[in-house]
Amino acid sequence: MTFESDRRYTRRDTVLLLLCLTLSLAALFSPAPWGNGVAATLRGTVLSPLVWLQARAEEGRTSRVRFRAVTTERDSAAYLAQFLPSLRAENERLRQLLRLSHRLSASYVAAEVLHQPQATDSRTLLLSVGSRQGVAPFNPVVAPEGLIGVILSVSGTSSIAMSWAHPEFRVSAFTVGGNAFGVVAPSIEGRNNEGALEFRGVPYRDSVPLGTLVLSSGLGGVFPKGIPVGTVIGTVREEAGWERVYRLRPAANPGSAAHVLVLLGSRGGDLAPAFPSDSLLEALRLDSIARERRADSVAQAAKAATQALRAATQAMKAARAARRDSLARTSPILGGTSTGQPAEQPEDSSR
Amino acid sequence: MSPRRVTRAQVALVLLLLVVLQFYIRPRLWNARVSPDFLLIGLMLFAMRSGAGAGALAGFIVGLIEDTLTPARFGAAALAHTVVGYLAAWGRALFFADNMLVNAGFVAVGLWVRDLIVLVASETDHRQLLTELTFYSPIQALTTAAFALVLLLTFQAVFSVRLDA
Repeated sequence: MTFESDRRYTRRDTVLLLLCLTLSLAALFSPAPWGNGVAATLRGTVLSPLVWLQARAEEGRTSRVRFRAVTTERDSAAYLAQFLPSLRAENERLRQLLRLSHRLSASYVAAEVLHQPQATDSRTLLLSVGSRQGVAPFNPVVAPEGLIGVILSVSGTSSIAMSWAHPEFRVSAFTVGGNAFGVVAPSIEGRNNEGALEFRGVPYRDSVPLGTLVLSSGLGGVFPKGIPVGTVIGTVREEAGWERVYRLRPAANPGSAAHVLVLLGSRGGDLAPAFPSDSLLEALRLDSIARERRADSVAQAAKAATQALRAATQAMKAARAARRDSLARTSPILGGTSTGQPAEQPEDSSR
Repeated sequence: MSPRRVTRAQVALVLLLLVVLQFYIRPRLWNARVSPDFLLIGLMLFAMRSGAGAGALAGFIVGLIEDTLTPARFGAAALAHTVVGYLAAWGRALFFADNMLVNAGFVAVGLWVRDLIVLVASETDHRQLLTELTFYSPIQALTTAAFALVLLLTFQAVFSVRLDA
């Protein structure tokens, strides 16, 4: 019986195999349009759920890929956009430097400032030019806006510049009108965490109005005449009635300078024509002065308002005290008389 | 409901899971050419648990699905899967097929044979045939066998496979 059953199963298996093989071979060797038609029919009917499932999966995969691509593009755009303002600023500075180099009569060499990540970076600057390019100690270093500093030491391919922020920096200077001479040195007390300069040794009788441009005088033989050093933005102190010290807003900022010019050769010429009242620079200077004035006026207004508020508070306190005194006098409970006469008002309360 | 019917229902559920994996998860994998063939795993596991005729019939159905959904030559996959399904059921009687590693090996060999028949029946040129059979098919066979092993370990009670490998 078992043998019969096994044989029956084997026969059935063989029949099924032959049937499937026949159908497969028939499909394989049938004309292509027939096969395509059968496939299309199956895809549209029995296998449509599977097709739908696969379509959703493909959609999900492509959506994920698209999302990743869009995210990448957005990140790249954001990354590039971060550099756009700095690139524009650098471009503008390079244009200004180019204009300055055309106007300079003295020989010069262009240099890159290799900023270091130290807090004292702006005091001394590492420049990418050295003795091979003709740079020597005490060569002035200028930016399109004005004086940056002076070369301190030189090696073959690099040099160290002492900027005006260095405590030992000094430059002989005069006002653009020529009515006051003095020495410019870095300010000891910074303002708003910004470096500032002091115009020292100005005779007491020579008053310098705000906004006056201060240039290097050429005395001393280190710096040529006419390089903008800074703009007068206030008075620091008056010493013993014979000297005034003015605060200057520096013309150039060594901390943000990326490219500078190192002046070579003779220092006798007047460089003032090389730093003309460039409209942009002048506008920037005037704008900075205007901002300073606005800030001063706002500060003064705030100070006045504070004083008025303090006076009003004091007056209110005095009035309250006077009322308390008068009540004490008129009330018998509080130990006063019941005459009903008004108590004497203090002078403050009557105001 | 008898325990045998429960087991059959569980096997059917696992096969359904494999179908879903084939059509919903596989397209999302990084490279469909070397990712596991879940339908073939289902076919092999089913064929090794059933008779040769049922294996051949299941192979024919799976092959027909493949032929319908893939742009290969119509009938090639049906022929290949029929042969592989029959051989899997027939081979179970010859080899020690209760061992899980042997099962996984069956799956790997089955996939390679399937690819060979499909490529030959589709009249693939020799260079591509060589590339497919020596590079892509072995990789896919390995990934498919690995997943089959995981599946057998996970559903060992359903497939009644011993763990004395």
